[in-house]
Amino acid sequence: MERRFKINDIDVKARAGEHLLDVARRYGFEIPSLCHHEALPPIGACRICLVEVAWGGRRELCTSCNFEVIEGMQVTTDTPAVQHHRAMNLELLLARAPGSARLRELAAQYGVRRTRFGPPATSPLPNCILCELCVRACEQLGNHALTMVGRGDKKRIGLAFNSPSEQCTGCASCASVCPTECIPVKDTAAGRTIWGQTHPLVLCKVCGAPVMTERQRAKAIAKKGLPEEYYDFCESCKQSTASKRFASIVW
Amino acid sequence: MARRGRLVIKPDRCTGCRTCELACAFVHSTGGLLGLSRIRIREAGAGPEGDRHLQMTCLQCIEAACVKVCPVDALVRNEDTGAIEVSERCIGCGLCAVVCPFGHMHFDRMLGRPIKCDLCGGAPTCAAFCPHGALEVR
Repeated sequence: MERRFKINDIDVKARAGEHLLDVARRYGFEIPSLCHHEALPPIGACRICLVEVAWGGRRELCTSCNFEVIEGMQVTTDTPAVQHHRAMNLELLLARAPGSARLRELAAQYGVRRTRFGPPATSPLPNCILCELCVRACEQLGNHALTMVGRGDKKRIGLAFNSPSEQCTGCASCASVCPTECIPVKDTAAGRTIWGQTHPLVLCKVCGAPVMTERQRAKAIAKKGLPEEYYDFCESCKQSTASKRFASIVW
Repeated sequence: MARRGRLVIKPDRCTGCRTCELACAFVHSTGGLLGLSRIRIREAGAGPEGDRHLQMTCLQCIEAACVKVCPVDALVRNEDTGAIEVSERCIGCGLCAVVCPFGHMHFDRMLGRPIKCDLCGGAPTCAAFCPHGALEVR
């Protein structure tokens, strides 16, 4: 089923059930966001993708990332109200994550250079804006290691029950998707340390460079059906082996 | 849609000048960081006519291990160019770079993204800059 509506007075088409942000971006409208990821379900956590939507005599502000398109609605992406509320939300987020360059840059675009609010009293993970992108990425991978821990002002991201997890593979996808880059990952000879756990690393069979964590390897082999030796070498050693093989063919 | 030209690698013509690496790095990163180049020159020993070099870049495999292993289907083949491209769906787990049998994919921890050749949308910059005709688009 097709849905037709207007964004900034321009006619657009979308499939039923599609989310407004995806449609708007496809048509080239610029809507900022922090907690949206194409591969992960939207939850409207950061509230930066606010737009004004009018349909059936109503007019309201809504987060476009998780707003399903409606036939005949009129969307405006940049009204004074939208600007005002985005700026306010950015100021609130800035109090949580003053160290994020990406957030500071986005806030500055909306004229927010400082925040009137203080940082959270207890913050075990500085600069976390609680957008749950990491939690969603972990779920998508089927690991379900990360979750929200605590309630109210003690709410934070962590391993379930705040105790060491058997599920966490140490893949660090959470750190990759984090919009404020606040999740520390440290690779040492002992292993990869993330979320307070140290995961032993698989080392390259040629040079001994770290390739991936042992848990990540075991899980990938069980799930993906590729030969085990695919997971044995680092990028550089594989390339050097391949180049030798190619050279023997060419010359 | 008809495919545009494919990238032909001629290692016997390569002098190892690394202009391709530099061109790639400048097209795909601000400031031309060589670590972000998707093509890499490897030395292949000495031959009767001098040092040999090989240009190593993604082969855009038909049955690609990286595509198979991706948990979110973020690696998508561009039917127009034939290149496998890293889409915005990537969540940065790094498995693709681990399984590539040729080591042509590099995972950048800072970016949280794999670095791989996308054939520049059909007109590879490395080929345009190669001064010796060792990379050609046909």
